[in-house]
Amino acid sequence: MKIMDFLCDRAIVPSLQATDKKGVIEELIDLLIEARKIDPKDRGRMIKSLLDREALGSTGIGQGIGIPHGKLDKVRELVAAFGISQKGVHFDSLDGEPVHLFFLLVAPEDSTGPHLKALARISRLLKDKFFRNTLRKAKTAEEILAIIRREDQG
Amino acid sequence: MLVRKKVVIQNKEGLHVRPAALFVRLANKFDSDIAIRKGHQKVNGKSITGVLMLGCEKGSEVEIIANGPDAKKALQELTQFLRKGLSGLTKP
Repeated sequence: MKIMDFLCDRAIVPSLQATDKKGVIEELIDLLIEARKIDPKDRGRMIKSLLDREALGSTGIGQGIGIPHGKLDKVRELVAAFGISQKGVHFDSLDGEPVHLFFLLVAPEDSTGPHLKALARISRLLKDKFFRNTLRKAKTAEEILAIIRREDQG
Repeated sequence: MLVRKKVVIQNKEGLHVRPAALFVRLANKFDSDIAIRKGHQKVNGKSITGVLMLGCEKGSEVEIIANGPDAKKALQELTQFLRKGLSGLTKP
């Protein structure tokens, strides 16, 4: 599985405006709504599901990475948004550090496999410090896409 | 001392973020080096990105490898966690 198999190329933002957990989740979900991946009617339900999941334990897995994720019965396939916070957001991360890189995943209700594969793929890329730093410096959505596409080849 | 043991992941959702985080937290309590191997992939058992990279689904067989002064205890607790500690963590 490649990142571009599930990352929506119209749901990428190089400078998230939000400064807290809820705000980041809302901002990324709104990108997926604008990209027509999620129905605006499901906005509240989806955000609640993601926040409920965070309440069970943060998806800030350390090293500046956050992967909030949730399920929605109406999506047909796994879809993701990506955003960078230049300042960093307090996210109750496992290592206590602010999160700069966010992958937000929405999976269909009945799936587990694709979701695990996506997490595995994201983790593999983000484990690479050089890749993380290169992404952090990206200034536009186009640059982010180019970096991810290049890395996806490997 | 280096010890190793194979475990089959039993829970329905596989080794998703929360169990992976709990596994890593437990692994970090020990002085021994901890590794997990699945197929040809071997990762640091004390790193959550490492553990998630394996993408362990239900039915995956993994090998826990512990090396150090408390390796035996680490292996026992970590394999027990994978066998029993995952039940109840149904949400990904």
